[in-house]
Amino acid sequence: MIKPDAALRILIVDDEKSIRRFLKTTLHAQGFQVFEAATGQEALENSVADHPDALILDLGLPDMDGIEVTREIRKRSQIPIVILSVREQEADKIAALDAGADDYLTKPFSSGELLARLRAVMRRLLPQEEDQVLKVGKLTVDLSKRMICIKDQPVKLTPTEYDVLKVLALNSGKVITHRHLLQAVWNKTEDLEGVAHLLRVTMSNLRNKIEPDPNRPFYILTEPGIGYRLRSEL
Amino acid sequence: MKNDPSWNPYLKSLLLIAAASLLGEGVQRFLAPANLVMLYLLVVVVSAIRWGRGPAVSASFVSVLAFDFLFVPPRLTFSVADSQYLLTFAGLLIVALVISALAAQARDRAIEANQREAQATLLYNLSRNLAAAYDLKAVLEILGDHARQIARNEVALFLPEDSALKVCYKTPGFFIGENETAVATLAFQKDLTTGGGTETLPSSGARYLPLKTTQGISGVLAYKFEAALDEESERLLQALANQAAVAIDRALLAEKAHQIELLQETEKLQKLLLNSVSHDLRTPLVSIKGALSSLLEDGALDPKARRELLENAYEESDRLNQIVGNLLDMTRVETGLVKMVKKPCDLSDVIGVSLQQIPKERIGKHPIAIHISPEFPEIFMDLSLMIKTFVNILDNALKYSPADAGVEINAKIVHDHAEIEFTDHGIGIPSKDLTRIFDKFFRSEHSHTVPGTGLGLAICKGIVEAHQGEIRVESRLNQGTRIVVSLPLSQAQNKSNAK
Repeated sequence: MIKPDAALRILIVDDEKSIRRFLKTTLHAQGFQVFEAATGQEALENSVADHPDALILDLGLPDMDGIEVTREIRKRSQIPIVILSVREQEADKIAALDAGADDYLTKPFSSGELLARLRAVMRRLLPQEEDQVLKVGKLTVDLSKRMICIKDQPVKLTPTEYDVLKVLALNSGKVITHRHLLQAVWNKTEDLEGVAHLLRVTMSNLRNKIEPDPNRPFYILTEPGIGYRLRSEL
Repeated sequence: MKNDPSWNPYLKSLLLIAAASLLGEGVQRFLAPANLVMLYLLVVVVSAIRWGRGPAVSASFVSVLAFDFLFVPPRLTFSVADSQYLLTFAGLLIVALVISALAAQARDRAIEANQREAQATLLYNLSRNLAAAYDLKAVLEILGDHARQIARNEVALFLPEDSALKVCYKTPGFFIGENETAVATLAFQKDLTTGGGTETLPSSGARYLPLKTTQGISGVLAYKFEAALDEESERLLQALANQAAVAIDRALLAEKAHQIELLQETEKLQKLLLNSVSHDLRTPLVSIKGALSSLLEDGALDPKARRELLENAYEESDRLNQIVGNLLDMTRVETGLVKMVKKPCDLSDVIGVSLQQIPKERIGKHPIAIHISPEFPEIFMDLSLMIKTFVNILDNALKYSPADAGVEINAKIVHDHAEIEFTDHGIGIPSKDLTRIFDKFFRSEHSHTVPGTGLGLAICKGIVEAHQGEIRVESRLNQGTRIVVSLPLSQAQNKSNAK
């Protein structure tokens, strides 16, 4: 887990002053340095001028759509972006993720959720190592040894199940879309609808092996209509 | 008869004279020539009744000539030996002409009466059909259909809409372009019959009749004009135009009345909503504001009290969020703004996500037992909508149950449907309320100690029905409630599972 130091700079983009105020207070208390923008235009300017390490971006901005802002920023920067939005339609979320956002959070949310998302997307800023070991609760994912344990007991996974878990573990805490998984594990780029059942079946089998109660998953969470997320913190 | 060439009746009357002459030839030995005049008078009467004035008059003259030529000595010449026959000729001619006139008049009247009857029948049918028409569209169809029968050609009806004339009905072969609309508009504005066969723009291919009422002009009837119609049809079309105007006005009025009724219904609903929602929205706000103001103002609060106030405010904000969410969902379901995206879904995953979305405090110590076979087929559904449904049902099951009462979720296949049952052991629903439990804003008296909007199950019903499914309730007071969601297992979906 990363302890954010004073050097980490966050740009908050939201047209509602009260939301910026609440975010600023919360993030400041966590040791982040906070910058603000109220419009898409300001966001594009400040994302250069303020040298932020991450962006918290509202979708419904007065001058341009947050998805458009994401697309513009992605043309020149790989800075982590977390979307905040009142829109709960899957299509909006997928559009934001496809445009290059790293994760999203539906308003209203608790600050705990926001901080967890921020930590997860900012982990990307650290050097990535293939041999890291992920531990959440009783689940251990050791990628260097290709070993998965529950309560220190090794679990036997099929190669496909392992690959799915590996993609999720490398991005633990972050939402991973169906498309991303189908591409990474099955190498599918077309007719994703037609092969989506492969993913569902694998996920169901994987959960049966690692979840204490497969009907109420604890480690691999479903993001309805979007994808899956591996829990990174308790 | 109308289609016969016009000389045909004359020829027929001549043939009749020839026949009379032949008969006269047969009987002239027994009768004086003057009596043979009767035969010719008979011919004139028949001609007048059957074929009208023209043929009867011509028959009168030809009869005199034929009588003279054939029967008045010297026979087979037009010369007359006995000058008293000249008087017979004059008598014959005058009587024949008078009979012609009278008989033709009688015939005209009979024809007129027939026409009036036909017209009356047609108009009667028209008004009977119009009376049964329930909306403007039906009225226009009936009018158009009758007009087409009378004009025996393509017809169209124009009605004013936002200050411009628009085609509201047309038979398939009637092309309506800018020109046609322009001629119709002229008829509408000038209260004038325009187009083919009139003095205004006669070159256009159709005729346009304004539909007049005492209030003004309510539209324009157009029919393709290839050749002039007979008088009868023109009269009928005019009569139809008059009826059309009245019928259209009446339909428009009825429509307006219906809209007002709808508006009133909506207003009633809004009032209900306002009453129910203002109370439900206020209550959590009262707690949140109260808790926060205590925290702000009272520095002497001990940490335990502070924590309690904060937790209370947090829970109430969740409740507020849920109410707002329900209201939005209800509006979406009601206005049809929800776009359904149905995909095959793994039921236990959907149940898992639904449980995940219920606040932990709500689940508390309730044991939740899920019985879904791993082989349960995938169901075609809109994932996020079905999650809302399950969350609402589970939320009810939890909040109307004692703190440690269990909730069971079962799934089974009944014929070609998946039935998902949610069973609780809570307070139950009185049997008198069971039929209304899915109504908007309905809340059982029995449940009034527990806060709620009365929207949850209405939303569930809307969503399940949008999936061509069915939602049912079984309940026993103080023993528990079971909600059953039945969703179709479609053919396509069975295939995708046949791996």
